[in-house]
Amino acid sequence: MSIISVTDLHKHFKVNKHRSGLAGAVRGLFSTESTLVRAVDGISFSVEPGELVGYLGPNGAGKSTTLKMLTGLLVPTSGQLLSNGHVPWRERKTYVARIGAVFGQRTTLWWDLPVIESLELLQYVYKVPRERFRHNLAEFRELLELGPFLNTPVRSLSLGQRMRADICAALLHEPDLLFLDEPTIGLDVVAKERIRQFIRHINRERGVTVLLTTHDLSDVEKLCERVMIIDHGRLLYDGQLAALRDRFGGKRELVVDFAEDEGAAADLSVDGATIIERDGPRVVYSFGRETISASGLISLLSARYRIRDLSVREPDIEDTIRRIYEERLLEKPSN
Amino acid sequence: MRHTLDIYRRLILVQIRSQLQYRVSFLLDTLATGFQVFISFITLALILQRFDGIGGWTLSEVAFLYGMVEVAFGTMDMLFSGFDPANFGRQVRQGAFDQLLLRPISATLQVFGSQFIIRRVGRIAQGLAVLTFAIVSLNLNWTPAKLVYLPIVIASLVCFFGGLFMIGATITFWTVDSIEVINIFTYGGSEMMSYPMHIYPDWVRRFFTYILPAIFLNYAPALYFLGKPDPLGLPPFAAFLAPVAGIATLLAALAFWQYGMRHYQSTGT
Repeated sequence: MSIISVTDLHKHFKVNKHRSGLAGAVRGLFSTESTLVRAVDGISFSVEPGELVGYLGPNGAGKSTTLKMLTGLLVPTSGQLLSNGHVPWRERKTYVARIGAVFGQRTTLWWDLPVIESLELLQYVYKVPRERFRHNLAEFRELLELGPFLNTPVRSLSLGQRMRADICAALLHEPDLLFLDEPTIGLDVVAKERIRQFIRHINRERGVTVLLTTHDLSDVEKLCERVMIIDHGRLLYDGQLAALRDRFGGKRELVVDFAEDEGAAADLSVDGATIIERDGPRVVYSFGRETISASGLISLLSARYRIRDLSVREPDIEDTIRRIYEERLLEKPSN
Repeated sequence: MRHTLDIYRRLILVQIRSQLQYRVSFLLDTLATGFQVFISFITLALILQRFDGIGGWTLSEVAFLYGMVEVAFGTMDMLFSGFDPANFGRQVRQGAFDQLLLRPISATLQVFGSQFIIRRVGRIAQGLAVLTFAIVSLNLNWTPAKLVYLPIVIASLVCFFGGLFMIGATITFWTVDSIEVINIFTYGGSEMMSYPMHIYPDWVRRFFTYILPAIFLNYAPALYFLGKPDPLGLPPFAAFLAPVAGIATLLAALAFWQYGMRHYQSTGT
């Protein structure tokens, strides 16, 4: 039984046109011309309990709008959405009691209060039993290294500290589901890594289902087996990250250093691979997954020539995703 | 319900504690807000002295009305400051309101608990001083009924002004920015209500009777307390409509607020 199921979800906004100048502003008071923006344009997916899913897309792709509907902040224009047994916006209070959500840019903590007092306040808001609260806080405090700034007012925290405090705050009431909107945005490498480790930990050890949006691919590569890619309000891909690479990874490259005396010899060409670079004894072959495997190419070459060294270059996952956005590779014929 | 009140108490305590953190600025602010009221009253007193009262009312009589409205507005401004349109509009714009919707308790309660400006006690104190001055110098004929009704009228005024703040806050769901027009009704409204209504032109008075039921909250009760004849010919029970007008305004504002929240959830920002 899926913990989240989304069917043909749409969210359209009317955006009023702004006219320029005073005359335009006055006219705008009386007639409003508006354009329809399809922020989310018919997406369907489901998430199983315990999954850790990355929701990937460029800015303005519809990630946040989807997340707002999943957390009950927005009512969809049409479509079905059932999450943790609830229709989020209809049963807001009962629903949000069992989820955690962190919207990266904003804090749920009280600005002027020391972190610990915000957390204690949330203990009452969520009615967390004292024992559970202590137990969870002790665990998160250690994993997220909150100790040094638990008594610091939130307004004086660094971005990374604040994010860790916010993630802690979202989990103290032991939610079944955790939504994270850009949890690593603006953080340095060390802070990113600490947060990723923590997310992995609560997913594996506590079985919390996690859905995180990001435009940082390394988040997805390090955390998620499953990735959903959205652009222009439509789901472009939903599946394993590895399969995405296989399907759309483009050409791989094999760099071969031949023994010196082979250098001038013959044409060195092989069926299924093309030479894209030749510099003395070093030759770079480009080959597609569908024509020849890396091991096939290597055994072909080593049967014919003496090879000193070789290496395989995988295409960058970032390039892969960029290609998908640019060429709309996954777009189905209009349906 | 007990949980709700407990949370409200804790949210208010947080506000109080963080405001008391900066003790010097708190004291100065409190004195300043109080002083503002005092200065504007002194100005009023000097003008009234010069013109021998206003619309047939003596300085003390105007002071009574003025003090009543000030105490009520100050109290409202303390309790309802979460709904102050300028402040609330910013919350909506910055997405802070979304954070409230992510917690499993009433969003309305959280807005109440999101601001509690204690330095408003300065304004309340000065209002009380003006009111006391009026009562002492007027030698009013206090009956038990009047003694009971005065706090009721002030509480009704608090509900009324609170309702205006709430309506203003709700409008920012559509406009996002707080618009000055809203302040005309809240701050401007309270200013106008500090003076006897019969000095205004008809259309203003009609507005404060039929659009906003203000006349039943300030002028009519003041006539009753001061024992003055009514030049406008309001029905005799008009003086006792204050609780009805106050509560009705607040309920209407609450309904509009709920509607606004539903609108917000369907459009976002």
